Amino acid sequence: MSVQPKTFRNSSKRIILYVVLVGSSILMMIPFYWSVVTSLKLEKFVFTSPPQWIPNPLVWVNYIHVLTKMPFARYFANSVFVALAVTLAHVFFDTLAAYAFAKLKFPGRDQIFFVMLLALMVPFQVNLIPLYKIMAAFHWTNTYLALIIPNLTSIFGIFLMRQFLMTIPNELLDAARIDGCSEFGVFRKVVLPLALPGIATLIIFTFMGTWNDFLWPRIVINSEKLFTLPVGLALLQMKNTSNEAQIMAGTVLTALPMIIVFLFMQRQFIEGMTAGALKG
Amino acid sequence: MTAIPLPLPRRVTRSVKKYAIPYLFIAVPVISLIVFLLIPMVASLWWSLNDYSGLQPPKFVGLNNYIQLFTNDKIFGKGLVNTTVFVLLGMSIGPTLGLLTALMLNQKVRFRSFYRTAYYLPVMTSLVVVSTIWLMLYNRNGLINTVLQTFGVAKVGWLSSPHVALISIVIASVWQGFGFETVVFLAALQSIPRELYEAAMIDGAGGGAQFRYITLPSLRPVIVFVYIIGIIGSYQVFDQIYVMSSGGPVYSTTTIVYYLFTKFMDLRLGYASAIAYVLFAILVVFSYIQMRISRERA
Repeated sequence: MSVQPKTFRNSSKRIILYVVLVGSSILMMIPFYWSVVTSLKLEKFVFTSPPQWIPNPLVWVNYIHVLTKMPFARYFANSVFVALAVTLAHVFFDTLAAYAFAKLKFPGRDQIFFVMLLALMVPFQVNLIPLYKIMAAFHWTNTYLALIIPNLTSIFGIFLMRQFLMTIPNELLDAARIDGCSEFGVFRKVVLPLALPGIATLIIFTFMGTWNDFLWPRIVINSEKLFTLPVGLALLQMKNTSNEAQIMAGTVLTALPMIIVFLFMQRQFIEGMTAGALKG
Repeated sequence: MTAIPLPLPRRVTRSVKKYAIPYLFIAVPVISLIVFLLIPMVASLWWSLNDYSGLQPPKFVGLNNYIQLFTNDKIFGKGLVNTTVFVLLGMSIGPTLGLLTALMLNQKVRFRSFYRTAYYLPVMTSLVVVSTIWLMLYNRNGLINTVLQTFGVAKVGWLSSPHVALISIVIASVWQGFGFETVVFLAALQSIPRELYEAAMIDGAGGGAQFRYITLPSLRPVIVFVYIIGIIGSYQVFDQIYVMSSGGPVYSTTTIVYYLFTKFMDLRLGYASAIAYVLFAILVVFSYIQMRISRERA
Protein backbone atom coordinates (compact mmCIF):
# COMPACT_ATOMS: atom_id res chain seq x y z
CA MET A 1 0.00 0.00 0.00
CA SER A 2 2.77 2.40 0.95
CA VAL A 3 4.50 1.62 -2.37
CA GLN A 4 1.71 3.19 -4.39
CA PRO A 5 2.30 6.87 -3.56
CA LYS A 6 6.06 6.51 -3.96
CA THR A 7 5.91 5.12 -7.50
CA PHE A 8 3.30 7.71 -8.28
CA ARG A 9 5.64 10.43 -7.07
CA ASN A 10 8.50 8.88 -9.00
CA SER A 11 6.56 8.65 -12.21
CA SER A 12 5.31 12.22 -11.93
CA LYS A 13 8.92 13.29 -11.31
CA ARG A 14 9.95 11.47 -14.47
CA ILE A 15 7.20 13.16 -16.45
CA ILE A 16 8.43 16.56 -15.29
CA LEU A 17 12.00 15.53 -16.16
CA TYR A 18 10.99 14.58 -19.70
CA VAL A 19 8.87 17.70 -20.17
CA VAL A 20 11.80 19.89 -19.15
CA LEU A 21 14.31 17.97 -21.27
CA VAL A 22 12.17 17.88 -24.39
CA GLY A 23 10.90 21.44 -23.91
CA SER A 24 14.35 22.93 -23.40
CA SER A 25 15.77 20.97 -26.34
CA ILE A 26 13.05 22.33 -28.60
CA LEU A 27 13.65 25.83 -27.27
CA MET A 28 17.35 25.43 -28.03
CA MET A 29 16.64 24.33 -31.59
CA ILE A 30 14.13 27.08 -32.43
CA PRO A 31 16.75 29.68 -33.47
CA PHE A 32 18.31 27.15 -35.88
CA TYR A 33 14.93 26.06 -37.16
CA TRP A 34 13.86 29.66 -37.63
CA SER A 35 16.96 30.56 -39.61
CA VAL A 36 16.49 27.57 -41.95
CA VAL A 37 12.79 28.33 -42.38
CA THR A 38 13.48 32.01 -43.04
CA SER A 39 16.08 31.18 -45.67
CA LEU A 40 13.41 29.24 -47.58
CA LYS A 41 10.83 32.05 -47.56
CA LEU A 42 10.12 34.96 -49.81
CA GLU A 43 11.31 38.13 -48.12
CA LYS A 44 7.77 39.50 -47.76
CA PHE A 45 6.82 36.56 -45.50
CA VAL A 46 9.80 36.92 -43.12
CA PHE A 47 8.24 39.24 -40.56
CA THR A 48 4.60 38.23 -40.54
CA SER A 49 2.24 38.12 -37.60
CA PRO A 50 1.36 35.42 -36.73
CA PRO A 51 4.75 33.92 -37.66
CA GLN A 52 4.84 31.58 -40.62
CA TRP A 53 6.32 28.39 -39.11
CA ILE A 54 6.39 26.52 -42.40
CA PRO A 55 7.50 28.41 -45.50
CA ASN A 56 4.68 28.88 -47.97
CA PRO A 57 5.70 28.98 -50.75
CA LEU A 58 8.99 27.20 -50.14
CA VAL A 59 11.60 28.82 -52.37
CA TRP A 60 15.33 28.38 -53.06
CA VAL A 61 15.71 31.85 -54.52
CA ASN A 62 17.70 33.16 -51.52
CA TYR A 63 20.34 30.45 -51.85
CA ILE A 64 20.53 31.01 -55.57
CA HIS A 65 20.96 34.71 -54.93
CA VAL A 66 23.81 34.47 -52.39
CA LEU A 67 25.58 31.80 -54.43
CA THR A 68 25.32 33.48 -57.81
CA LYS A 69 24.86 37.23 -57.25
CA MET A 70 27.17 37.27 -54.23
CA PRO A 71 30.54 35.56 -53.83
CA PHE A 72 29.33 33.08 -51.20
CA ALA A 73 30.67 30.12 -53.15
CA ARG A 74 34.04 31.87 -53.12
CA TYR A 75 33.84 32.53 -49.35
CA PHE A 76 32.97 28.89 -48.90
CA ALA A 77 35.99 27.75 -50.94
CA ASN A 78 38.25 30.15 -49.00
CA SER A 79 37.00 28.82 -45.67
CA VAL A 80 37.48 25.21 -46.75
CA PHE A 81 40.95 25.87 -48.11
CA VAL A 82 42.20 27.83 -45.11
CA ALA A 83 40.68 25.49 -42.54
CA LEU A 84 42.11 22.41 -44.27
CA ALA A 85 45.57 23.93 -44.69
CA VAL A 86 45.72 25.09 -41.07
CA THR A 87 44.39 21.78 -39.73
CA LEU A 88 46.89 19.77 -41.76
CA ALA A 89 49.76 21.94 -40.52
CA HIS A 90 48.61 21.53 -36.91
CA VAL A 91 48.40 17.77 -37.16
CA PHE A 92 51.97 17.61 -38.40
CA PHE A 93 53.73 20.35 -36.42
CA ASP A 94 51.83 20.06 -33.14
CA THR A 95 52.19 16.28 -32.99
CA LEU A 96 55.84 16.38 -33.98
CA ALA A 97 56.68 18.97 -31.32
CA ALA A 98 54.52 17.16 -28.78
CA TYR A 99 56.49 13.99 -29.48
CA ALA A 100 59.75 15.82 -28.81
CA PHE A 101 58.41 17.32 -25.59
CA ALA A 102 56.88 14.06 -24.38
CA LYS A 103 59.41 11.43 -25.38
CA LEU A 104 62.79 12.90 -26.35
CA LYS A 105 65.42 14.34 -24.03
CA PHE A 106 67.26 17.53 -24.91
CA PRO A 107 68.69 20.48 -23.01
CA GLY A 108 66.17 23.24 -22.37
CA ARG A 109 63.15 21.02 -23.02
CA ASP A 110 61.29 21.75 -19.81
CA GLN A 111 62.20 25.44 -19.87
CA ILE A 112 60.91 25.89 -23.43
CA PHE A 113 57.74 24.02 -22.57
CA PHE A 114 57.23 26.19 -19.51
CA VAL A 115 57.57 29.37 -21.60
CA MET A 116 54.95 27.93 -23.97
CA LEU A 117 52.54 27.30 -21.12
CA LEU A 118 53.03 30.86 -19.89
CA ALA A 119 52.45 32.18 -23.42
CA LEU A 120 49.13 30.31 -23.46
CA MET A 121 47.82 32.98 -21.08
CA VAL A 122 48.45 35.87 -23.48
CA PRO A 123 45.16 36.93 -25.05
CA PHE A 124 45.25 37.20 -28.83
CA GLN A 125 44.21 40.87 -28.70
CA VAL A 126 47.61 41.78 -27.23
CA ASN A 127 49.39 40.47 -30.33
CA LEU A 128 46.78 41.57 -32.81
CA ILE A 129 48.21 44.92 -33.88
CA PRO A 130 51.91 43.97 -34.06
CA LEU A 131 50.90 40.79 -35.87
CA TYR A 132 49.05 42.91 -38.41
CA LYS A 133 52.17 45.05 -38.83
CA ILE A 134 54.34 41.95 -39.32
CA MET A 135 51.96 40.72 -42.01
CA ALA A 136 52.13 44.12 -43.67
CA ALA A 137 55.95 44.10 -43.53
CA PHE A 138 56.01 40.71 -45.27
CA HIS A 139 53.41 42.00 -47.78
CA TRP A 140 51.11 39.20 -46.63
CA THR A 141 48.04 41.22 -45.73
CA ASN A 142 45.21 40.37 -48.05
CA THR A 143 46.69 36.99 -48.94
CA TYR A 144 45.98 33.45 -47.78
CA LEU A 145 49.43 33.51 -46.18
CA ALA A 146 48.21 35.90 -43.48
CA LEU A 147 45.45 33.46 -42.58
CA ILE A 148 47.68 30.37 -42.63
CA ILE A 149 51.30 31.12 -41.68
CA PRO A 150 50.69 32.60 -38.18
CA ASN A 151 48.42 29.60 -37.51
CA LEU A 152 50.72 26.72 -38.46
CA THR A 153 50.84 25.47 -34.89
CA SER A 154 49.26 26.20 -31.56
CA ILE A 155 50.51 25.85 -28.03
CA PHE A 156 47.18 24.39 -27.00
CA GLY A 157 47.49 21.71 -29.69
CA ILE A 158 51.03 20.81 -28.60
CA PHE A 159 49.86 20.62 -24.98
CA LEU A 160 46.90 18.42 -25.90
CA MET A 161 49.01 16.04 -27.99
CA ARG A 162 51.78 15.91 -25.40
CA GLN A 163 49.29 14.74 -22.76
CA PHE A 164 48.18 12.08 -25.18
CA LEU A 165 51.65 10.92 -26.29
CA MET A 166 52.89 10.60 -22.71
CA THR A 167 50.74 7.48 -22.43
CA ILE A 168 52.59 5.65 -25.24
CA PRO A 169 54.99 3.14 -23.62
CA ASN A 170 58.67 3.88 -24.18
CA GLU A 171 59.37 0.22 -24.92
CA LEU A 172 57.46 0.49 -28.18
CA LEU A 173 59.60 3.42 -29.29
CA ASP A 174 62.82 1.70 -28.22
CA ALA A 175 61.84 -1.44 -30.09
CA ALA A 176 61.39 0.62 -33.27
CA ARG A 177 64.76 2.32 -32.70
CA ILE A 178 66.50 -1.04 -32.25
CA ASP A 179 64.93 -2.10 -35.54
CA GLY A 180 66.88 0.74 -37.12
CA CYS A 181 64.19 3.40 -37.37
CA SER A 182 65.36 7.00 -37.44
CA GLU A 183 63.69 9.36 -34.94
CA PHE A 184 61.41 10.62 -37.72
CA GLY A 185 60.74 7.03 -38.73
CA VAL A 186 59.66 6.27 -35.15
CA PHE A 187 57.38 9.28 -35.30
CA ARG A 188 55.85 8.33 -38.63
CA LYS A 189 55.51 4.58 -38.14
CA VAL A 190 54.86 4.22 -34.42
CA VAL A 191 53.79 7.52 -32.86
CA LEU A 192 51.40 8.84 -35.53
CA PRO A 193 49.29 5.65 -35.80
CA LEU A 194 49.04 5.36 -32.01
CA ALA A 195 48.17 9.06 -31.70
CA LEU A 196 45.20 8.86 -34.07
CA PRO A 197 42.46 9.26 -31.42
CA GLY A 198 44.26 12.32 -30.04
CA ILE A 199 44.74 13.63 -33.57
CA ALA A 200 40.99 13.32 -34.16
CA THR A 201 40.44 15.69 -31.24
CA LEU A 202 43.14 18.02 -32.51
CA ILE A 203 41.57 18.07 -35.98
CA ILE A 204 38.16 18.93 -34.57
CA PHE A 205 39.45 21.74 -32.37
CA THR A 206 41.61 23.25 -35.07
CA PHE A 207 39.08 22.95 -37.87
CA MET A 208 36.32 24.43 -35.72
CA GLY A 209 38.51 27.27 -34.45
CA THR A 210 39.70 28.19 -37.92
CA TRP A 211 36.29 27.83 -39.56
CA ASN A 212 34.65 30.08 -36.96
CA ASP A 213 37.49 32.60 -36.55
CA PHE A 214 36.40 36.16 -37.12
CA LEU A 215 38.53 38.93 -35.59
CA TRP A 216 41.82 38.05 -37.32
CA PRO A 217 40.44 37.47 -40.85
CA ARG A 218 38.25 40.55 -40.43
CA ILE A 219 41.34 42.66 -39.77
CA VAL A 220 43.94 41.15 -42.07
CA ILE A 221 41.80 40.63 -45.18
CA ASN A 222 39.99 43.43 -46.96
CA SER A 223 39.50 42.09 -50.44
CA GLU A 224 36.17 40.36 -50.82
CA LYS A 225 37.69 37.62 -52.93
CA LEU A 226 39.62 36.34 -49.92
CA PHE A 227 36.89 36.61 -47.26
CA THR A 228 36.13 33.55 -45.21
CA LEU A 229 32.48 32.69 -44.50
CA PRO A 230 32.07 34.50 -41.15
CA VAL A 231 33.61 37.69 -42.56
CA GLY A 232 31.48 37.44 -45.70
CA LEU A 233 28.39 36.81 -43.62
CA ALA A 234 29.07 39.83 -41.41
CA LEU A 235 29.48 41.94 -44.54
CA LEU A 236 26.26 40.60 -46.03
CA GLN A 237 24.56 41.46 -42.75
CA MET A 238 25.78 45.06 -42.89
CA LYS A 239 24.92 45.74 -46.53
CA ASN A 240 21.61 47.54 -46.74
CA THR A 241 20.92 45.95 -50.08
CA SER A 242 20.53 42.43 -48.73
CA ASN A 243 17.37 41.20 -47.10
CA GLU A 244 16.77 38.99 -44.10
CA ALA A 245 15.89 35.87 -46.11
CA GLN A 246 19.16 36.16 -48.05
CA ILE A 247 21.13 36.77 -44.87
CA MET A 248 19.66 33.57 -43.44
CA ALA A 249 20.62 31.64 -46.57
CA GLY A 250 24.18 32.87 -46.00
CA THR A 251 23.92 31.97 -42.32
CA VAL A 252 22.81 28.42 -43.06
CA LEU A 253 25.63 27.99 -45.58
CA THR A 254 28.13 29.18 -42.98
CA ALA A 255 26.83 26.97 -40.17
CA LEU A 256 26.00 23.80 -42.07
CA PRO A 257 29.50 22.35 -42.67
CA MET A 258 30.38 22.50 -38.95
CA ILE A 259 27.05 20.96 -38.01
CA ILE A 260 27.57 18.09 -40.44
CA VAL A 261 31.11 17.50 -39.16
CA PHE A 262 29.74 17.55 -35.62
CA LEU A 263 26.95 15.08 -36.25
CA PHE A 264 29.42 12.63 -37.78
CA MET A 265 32.12 13.02 -35.15
CA GLN A 266 29.98 13.71 -32.10
CA ARG A 267 31.76 11.24 -29.85
CA GLN A 268 35.23 12.66 -30.59
CA PHE A 269 33.93 16.21 -30.18
CA ILE A 270 32.56 15.56 -26.72
CA GLU A 271 35.47 13.42 -25.54
CA GLY A 272 37.89 16.07 -26.76
CA MET A 273 36.01 18.89 -25.08
CA THR A 274 35.83 17.10 -21.77
CA ALA A 275 39.35 15.60 -21.78
CA GLY A 276 40.93 18.99 -21.22
CA ALA A 277 38.52 19.92 -18.46
CA LEU A 278 38.79 16.75 -16.43
CA LYS A 279 42.57 16.41 -16.66
CA GLY A 280 43.39 20.10 -16.43
CA MET B 1 77.67 28.17 -44.69
CA THR B 2 81.25 27.37 -43.86
CA ALA B 3 82.04 26.35 -40.34
CA ILE B 4 83.58 29.21 -38.40
CA PRO B 5 85.90 28.01 -35.66
CA LEU B 6 84.35 30.11 -32.93
CA PRO B 7 85.64 29.46 -29.45
CA LEU B 8 82.38 27.74 -28.60
CA PRO B 9 82.70 25.23 -25.82
CA ARG B 10 82.93 21.83 -27.51
CA ARG B 11 80.20 20.56 -25.24
CA VAL B 12 77.69 22.96 -26.76
CA THR B 13 78.50 22.20 -30.39
CA ARG B 14 78.45 18.51 -29.65
CA SER B 15 75.11 18.75 -27.86
CA VAL B 16 73.60 20.76 -30.69
CA LYS B 17 74.65 18.02 -33.09
CA LYS B 18 73.48 15.30 -30.75
CA TYR B 19 70.15 16.97 -30.15
CA ALA B 20 69.64 18.32 -33.66
CA ILE B 21 66.63 16.09 -34.22
CA PRO B 22 64.51 17.13 -31.22
CA TYR B 23 65.37 20.77 -31.91
CA LEU B 24 64.29 20.29 -35.50
CA PHE B 25 61.02 18.73 -34.31
CA ILE B 26 60.15 21.78 -32.21
CA ALA B 27 61.59 24.32 -34.65
CA VAL B 28 58.35 25.51 -36.28
CA PRO B 29 56.44 25.99 -33.00
CA VAL B 30 59.40 27.74 -31.37
CA ILE B 31 59.93 30.09 -34.33
CA SER B 32 56.16 30.75 -34.38
CA LEU B 33 56.24 31.45 -30.67
CA ILE B 34 59.03 33.98 -31.07
CA VAL B 35 57.90 35.70 -34.28
CA PHE B 36 54.13 35.66 -33.84
CA LEU B 37 53.81 35.83 -30.07
CA LEU B 38 56.83 37.02 -28.06
CA ILE B 39 57.97 39.77 -30.44
CA PRO B 40 54.40 41.10 -30.93
CA MET B 41 53.91 41.03 -27.17
CA VAL B 42 56.96 43.21 -26.58
CA ALA B 43 56.12 45.48 -29.54
CA SER B 44 52.62 45.95 -28.23
CA LEU B 45 53.90 46.82 -24.75
CA TRP B 46 56.29 49.36 -26.26
CA TRP B 47 53.60 50.91 -28.48
CA SER B 48 51.29 51.22 -25.49
CA LEU B 49 53.83 53.75 -24.19
CA ASN B 50 53.80 55.66 -27.48
CA ASP B 51 51.66 57.82 -29.64
CA TYR B 52 51.53 55.66 -32.73
CA SER B 53 49.38 55.83 -35.82
CA GLY B 54 51.19 53.17 -37.81
CA LEU B 55 51.97 55.74 -40.47
CA GLN B 56 54.45 57.95 -38.61
CA PRO B 57 57.16 56.57 -36.33
CA PRO B 58 56.03 56.05 -32.71
CA LYS B 59 56.47 58.96 -30.31
CA PHE B 60 57.22 58.05 -26.70
CA VAL B 61 54.66 59.41 -24.26
CA GLY B 62 55.32 57.32 -21.16
CA LEU B 63 52.23 56.16 -19.32
CA ASN B 64 50.10 58.82 -20.98
CA ASN B 65 47.85 56.33 -22.82
CA TYR B 66 47.07 54.48 -19.59
CA ILE B 67 46.45 57.71 -17.69
CA GLN B 68 44.18 58.87 -20.49
CA LEU B 69 42.26 55.57 -20.39
CA PHE B 70 41.56 55.67 -16.68
CA THR B 71 41.06 59.37 -16.06
CA ASN B 72 39.86 60.95 -19.23
CA ASP B 73 38.06 58.34 -21.32
CA LYS B 74 34.44 57.88 -20.29
CA ILE B 75 33.78 55.41 -23.12
CA PHE B 76 36.57 53.13 -21.95
CA GLY B 77 35.19 53.31 -18.42
CA LYS B 78 31.81 52.34 -19.80
CA GLY B 79 33.46 49.55 -21.75
CA LEU B 80 35.04 48.16 -18.58
CA VAL B 81 31.70 48.29 -16.76
CA ASN B 82 29.77 46.80 -19.69
CA THR B 83 32.26 43.96 -20.09
CA THR B 84 32.19 43.20 -16.37
CA VAL B 85 28.38 43.21 -16.36
CA PHE B 86 28.44 40.91 -19.40
CA VAL B 87 30.82 38.54 -17.59
CA LEU B 88 28.89 38.59 -14.29
CA LEU B 89 25.48 38.06 -15.89
CA GLY B 90 26.75 35.37 -18.25
CA MET B 91 28.64 33.55 -15.51
CA SER B 92 25.69 33.61 -13.13
CA ILE B 93 23.41 31.99 -15.73
CA GLY B 94 25.57 29.84 -18.02
CA PRO B 95 27.30 27.43 -15.59
CA THR B 96 24.09 27.07 -13.54
CA LEU B 97 22.14 26.07 -16.64
CA GLY B 98 25.01 23.77 -17.56
CA LEU B 99 24.93 22.06 -14.17
CA LEU B 100 21.12 21.73 -14.14
CA THR B 101 21.03 20.20 -17.61
CA ALA B 102 23.95 17.90 -16.78
CA LEU B 103 22.15 16.68 -13.62
CA MET B 104 19.06 15.93 -15.72
CA LEU B 105 21.09 14.11 -18.36
CA ASN B 106 22.85 12.10 -15.66
CA GLN B 107 19.54 10.34 -14.85
CA LYS B 108 18.49 7.25 -16.73
CA VAL B 109 16.70 8.95 -19.61
CA ARG B 110 15.84 7.91 -23.12
CA PHE B 111 17.30 9.78 -26.10
CA ARG B 112 20.03 11.31 -23.94
CA SER B 113 22.28 12.05 -26.94
CA PHE B 114 19.41 13.92 -28.61
CA TYR B 115 19.12 16.43 -25.74
CA ARG B 116 22.87 16.68 -25.45
CA THR B 117 23.12 17.49 -29.16
CA ALA B 118 20.44 20.16 -28.79
CA TYR B 119 22.35 21.85 -25.98
CA TYR B 120 25.70 21.43 -27.62
CA LEU B 121 25.00 22.34 -31.24
CA PRO B 122 25.29 26.13 -30.71
CA VAL B 123 28.71 25.67 -29.05
CA MET B 124 30.39 24.70 -32.28
CA THR B 125 28.49 27.21 -34.36
CA SER B 126 30.39 30.36 -35.28
CA LEU B 127 29.57 33.38 -33.13
CA VAL B 128 28.90 35.39 -36.28
CA VAL B 129 26.23 32.86 -37.27
CA VAL B 130 24.73 32.89 -33.78
CA SER B 131 24.70 36.68 -33.81
CA THR B 132 23.02 37.02 -37.22
CA ILE B 133 20.32 34.57 -36.14
CA TRP B 134 19.64 36.41 -32.87
CA LEU B 135 19.74 39.76 -34.64
CA MET B 136 16.79 38.55 -36.69
CA LEU B 137 15.00 37.08 -33.66
CA TYR B 138 15.45 40.40 -31.81
CA ASN B 139 14.12 42.45 -34.73
CA ARG B 140 11.28 44.82 -33.77
CA ASN B 141 8.93 42.69 -35.84
CA GLY B 142 10.91 39.53 -35.26
CA LEU B 143 9.86 36.17 -33.87
CA ILE B 144 10.34 36.99 -30.18
CA ASN B 145 8.23 40.15 -30.27
CA THR B 146 5.57 38.48 -32.42
CA VAL B 147 5.24 35.58 -29.99
CA LEU B 148 5.21 37.92 -26.98
CA GLN B 149 2.52 39.97 -28.69
CA THR B 150 0.15 37.01 -28.74
CA PHE B 151 0.48 37.00 -24.94
CA GLY B 152 -0.31 40.70 -24.89
CA VAL B 153 3.23 41.89 -24.16
CA ALA B 154 4.22 45.17 -25.81
CA LYS B 155 7.08 45.18 -28.34
CA VAL B 156 10.51 45.27 -26.74
CA GLY B 157 13.45 47.09 -28.35
CA TRP B 158 15.78 44.19 -27.67
CA LEU B 159 18.79 45.79 -29.29
CA SER B 160 17.58 49.37 -29.71
CA SER B 161 17.01 50.20 -26.06
CA PRO B 162 20.19 51.10 -24.17
CA HIS B 163 18.83 49.45 -21.02
CA VAL B 164 18.07 46.13 -22.67
CA ALA B 165 20.69 45.69 -25.40
CA LEU B 166 23.47 44.28 -23.22
CA ILE B 167 21.08 41.82 -21.56
CA SER B 168 19.88 40.68 -24.99
CA ILE B 169 23.47 39.99 -26.00
CA VAL B 170 24.03 38.07 -22.75
CA ILE B 171 20.98 35.88 -23.51
CA ALA B 172 22.23 35.07 -27.01
CA SER B 173 25.71 34.34 -25.65
CA VAL B 174 24.42 32.05 -22.90
CA TRP B 175 22.32 30.19 -25.47
CA GLN B 176 25.47 29.75 -27.53
CA GLY B 177 27.78 28.69 -24.73
CA PHE B 178 26.17 26.77 -21.89
CA GLY B 179 26.18 23.46 -23.77
CA PHE B 180 29.92 23.37 -23.24
CA GLU B 181 29.34 23.44 -19.49
CA THR B 182 26.60 20.80 -19.79
CA VAL B 183 28.99 18.41 -21.50
CA VAL B 184 31.88 19.08 -19.13
CA PHE B 185 29.69 18.71 -16.01
CA LEU B 186 28.05 15.58 -17.38
CA ALA B 187 31.44 13.92 -17.93
CA ALA B 188 32.47 14.93 -14.42
CA LEU B 189 29.25 13.57 -12.90
CA GLN B 190 29.72 10.27 -14.68
CA SER B 191 33.22 9.93 -13.25
CA ILE B 192 32.03 10.14 -9.62
CA PRO B 193 32.30 6.60 -8.20
CA ARG B 194 28.90 4.97 -7.72
CA GLU B 195 30.02 3.43 -4.40
CA LEU B 196 30.06 6.86 -2.79
CA TYR B 197 26.31 7.22 -3.38
CA GLU B 198 25.61 3.65 -2.33
CA ALA B 199 27.46 4.16 0.94
CA ALA B 200 25.58 7.41 1.55
CA MET B 201 22.24 5.71 0.92
CA ILE B 202 23.08 2.99 3.43
CA ASP B 203 23.86 5.78 5.90
CA GLY B 204 20.40 7.14 5.18
CA ALA B 205 21.40 10.29 3.27
CA GLY B 206 18.59 11.68 1.07
CA GLY B 207 18.93 13.23 -2.36
CA GLY B 208 19.68 16.70 -1.04
CA ALA B 209 22.36 15.51 1.35
CA GLN B 210 23.95 13.36 -1.36
CA PHE B 211 24.12 16.34 -3.67
CA ARG B 212 25.62 18.55 -0.99
CA TYR B 213 28.15 16.14 0.47
CA ILE B 214 29.11 14.02 -2.55
CA THR B 215 28.19 15.64 -5.86
CA LEU B 216 29.22 19.24 -5.18
CA PRO B 217 32.61 18.47 -3.53
CA SER B 218 33.48 16.02 -6.33
CA LEU B 219 32.63 18.66 -8.93
CA ARG B 220 34.64 21.41 -7.26
CA PRO B 221 37.71 21.29 -9.55
CA VAL B 222 35.52 21.18 -12.66
CA ILE B 223 33.40 24.06 -11.38
CA VAL B 224 36.56 26.14 -10.88
CA PHE B 225 37.74 25.23 -14.38
CA VAL B 226 34.40 26.13 -15.95
CA TYR B 227 34.21 29.51 -14.24
CA ILE B 228 37.79 30.54 -14.94
CA ILE B 229 37.65 29.50 -18.60
CA GLY B 230 34.26 31.19 -18.88
CA ILE B 231 35.42 34.44 -17.30
CA ILE B 232 38.57 34.61 -19.44
CA GLY B 233 36.58 33.92 -22.60
CA SER B 234 33.76 36.32 -21.76
CA TYR B 235 36.11 39.21 -21.04
CA GLN B 236 37.21 38.94 -24.69
CA VAL B 237 33.67 39.23 -26.10
CA PHE B 238 33.74 40.80 -29.56
CA ASP B 239 31.98 38.96 -32.40
CA GLN B 240 28.48 39.29 -30.91
CA ILE B 241 28.94 43.01 -30.32
CA TYR B 242 30.34 43.60 -33.79
CA VAL B 243 27.41 41.89 -35.52
CA MET B 244 24.48 42.65 -33.23
CA SER B 245 25.00 46.16 -31.92
CA SER B 246 28.29 47.75 -33.06
CA GLY B 247 28.72 48.80 -29.44
CA GLY B 248 25.51 50.84 -29.38
CA PRO B 249 23.00 52.24 -28.67
CA VAL B 250 24.89 55.09 -26.97
CA TYR B 251 27.84 52.84 -26.06
CA SER B 252 25.60 50.63 -23.93
CA THR B 253 27.20 47.49 -25.41
CA THR B 254 30.72 48.76 -26.06
CA THR B 255 33.09 46.20 -24.57
CA ILE B 256 36.86 46.29 -24.04
CA VAL B 257 37.77 44.39 -27.20
CA TYR B 258 35.15 46.16 -29.30
CA TYR B 259 36.57 49.50 -28.14
CA LEU B 260 40.09 48.27 -28.91
CA PHE B 261 38.87 47.37 -32.41
CA THR B 262 37.44 50.85 -33.02
CA LYS B 263 40.73 52.44 -31.88
CA PHE B 264 42.61 50.13 -34.24
CA MET B 265 40.34 51.26 -37.06
CA ASP B 266 40.97 54.92 -36.08
CA LEU B 267 44.71 54.18 -36.39
CA ARG B 268 45.32 54.98 -32.74
CA LEU B 269 47.56 51.95 -32.42
CA GLY B 270 49.40 53.04 -29.27
CA TYR B 271 46.14 53.68 -27.47
CA ALA B 272 44.68 50.38 -28.70
CA SER B 273 47.79 48.57 -27.43
CA ALA B 274 47.30 50.11 -24.00
CA ILE B 275 43.71 48.79 -24.00
CA ALA B 276 45.06 45.35 -24.92
CA TYR B 277 47.43 45.43 -21.96
CA VAL B 278 44.67 46.46 -19.56
CA LEU B 279 42.69 43.44 -20.78
CA PHE B 280 45.79 41.27 -20.39
CA ALA B 281 46.23 42.46 -16.79
CA ILE B 282 42.61 41.54 -15.97
CA LEU B 283 42.99 38.07 -17.50
CA VAL B 284 46.33 37.43 -15.77
CA VAL B 285 44.57 37.84 -12.42
CA PHE B 286 42.11 35.06 -13.28
CA SER B 287 44.80 32.82 -14.81
CA TYR B 288 46.82 33.28 -11.62
CA ILE B 289 43.83 32.30 -9.47
CA GLN B 290 43.38 29.18 -11.57
CA MET B 291 47.05 28.25 -11.29
CA ARG B 292 46.95 28.71 -7.54
CA ILE B 293 43.87 26.55 -7.18
CA SER B 294 45.06 23.77 -9.48
CA ARG B 295 48.42 23.71 -7.68
CA GLU B 296 46.59 23.38 -4.37
CA ARG B 297 44.94 20.29 -5.77
CA ALA B 298 48.15 18.70 -7.06
